[in-house]
Amino acid sequence: MTADDDDLERPRWKRWLLNRFVLTPLILLAIALAWDAYAAMNADGRIVGRVVDARGNPVEGAEVSLWIFNFTTFNEDKHVRSGPDGVFTITGNPSHHVQLMAQKPGLGASPRIPIRLYFRGQNVTLKNPLVLPGA
Amino acid sequence: MRRYPRWPIHFALIVTSFAMLVPFYWVFKTSISGENIFNYPPSIIPRDPHLFYYVDVWYAIPFARYFLNSVVVSVMTIVANIVFNAMAGYALTRRFRGKTFILLLFLSCMMVPFQATIIPAYLITGKLGLLDSYLGLALPQFSTIICIFVFKASFDAIPASLIDAAKVDGLSEWRIIWTIMMPLAKSAMATNVILSFIWSWNNFLWPLIMTRTPEMQTLPLGLSRFLSYQEDTTGALYAFCIMVLAPGILLFLLAQKEFIQGLTSGATKG
Repeated sequence: MTADDDDLERPRWKRWLLNRFVLTPLILLAIALAWDAYAAMNADGRIVGRVVDARGNPVEGAEVSLWIFNFTTFNEDKHVRSGPDGVFTITGNPSHHVQLMAQKPGLGASPRIPIRLYFRGQNVTLKNPLVLPGA
Repeated sequence: MRRYPRWPIHFALIVTSFAMLVPFYWVFKTSISGENIFNYPPSIIPRDPHLFYYVDVWYAIPFARYFLNSVVVSVMTIVANIVFNAMAGYALTRRFRGKTFILLLFLSCMMVPFQATIIPAYLITGKLGLLDSYLGLALPQFSTIICIFVFKASFDAIPASLIDAAKVDGLSEWRIIWTIMMPLAKSAMATNVILSFIWSWNNFLWPLIMTRTPEMQTLPLGLSRFLSYQEDTTGALYAFCIMVLAPGILLFLLAQKEFIQGLTSGATKG
């Protein structure tokens, strides 16, 4: 019995639906929908991070600025201040490609840290803190 | 009979496959690393691979819209090619007066490049009121002569007695094509699907001159537009190329068995 004979013995709906030409696009569609659902549930534009000084101590009251990529340049968009434990939370980030910088009088300014996201407004918690050069 | 060693042919095939696949690998590697092709020393393994260039492309241009346009135009082209080419291919398997002339006309028309007919095609499309529409984008590709010959070769391989039997049973020519010939010409159909898809998907010149609004542009035009937007494009440009190439490669991988059969059917006849 050949593969074609075997194929003809299956019900017609199975032959039409259960083949690689239908299943592959359906699997890709399912992956795309799952990704869209995940993105929709995690796109509040929240960026959480920490500001520390050169010794690693948390810095309170540092001004953290968000820079948003705009085709060729980064434009300054939002400012927040870090809390007593050095933690800051930025909300409403509209972009997928941003930079963060922290500064405080007397402690100097951190370098701008680029942050790449997988979709616009993705919620993210930074692994590495923004480090001010002073102590 | 003397048996020759098989390793030389395998070696040659491996070397050829490698040479064919290296450019694809290089494009993919650059799309996930952003390394310029002129980097020295060149690295075979990507350094710090990531997918962010794909994200950049997605947001830099209305990629989803261009993708939808390309899909709609390609689907219309594929369906039209299957229908019209099968009808033409079947007609060319029948005997009729002037058949040789028609065949020669088709063969000679294959030598006329599309660039030579693009102005009349534009004028006709304009007269039909189809400029800047999906139908207008797909219309000039509704039938291709090579694909007609693919169907003809496949239909020629079907015994004439089968068609005669179908006629005795009272089937019309139309039903003979769709119920007798087409199920036996799956490989020709796959070849038509792949070739018409690739030609439609990669078409640049026709969409360039006949689309007037950005909303009707297709992916190749999007690529051109993307190049004009961005300056530092190495990684994102290659990511865009992968995103444009992926559907065609996927379709080929899905239908490659039938595609090869379709191209070679009739080749060993006689």
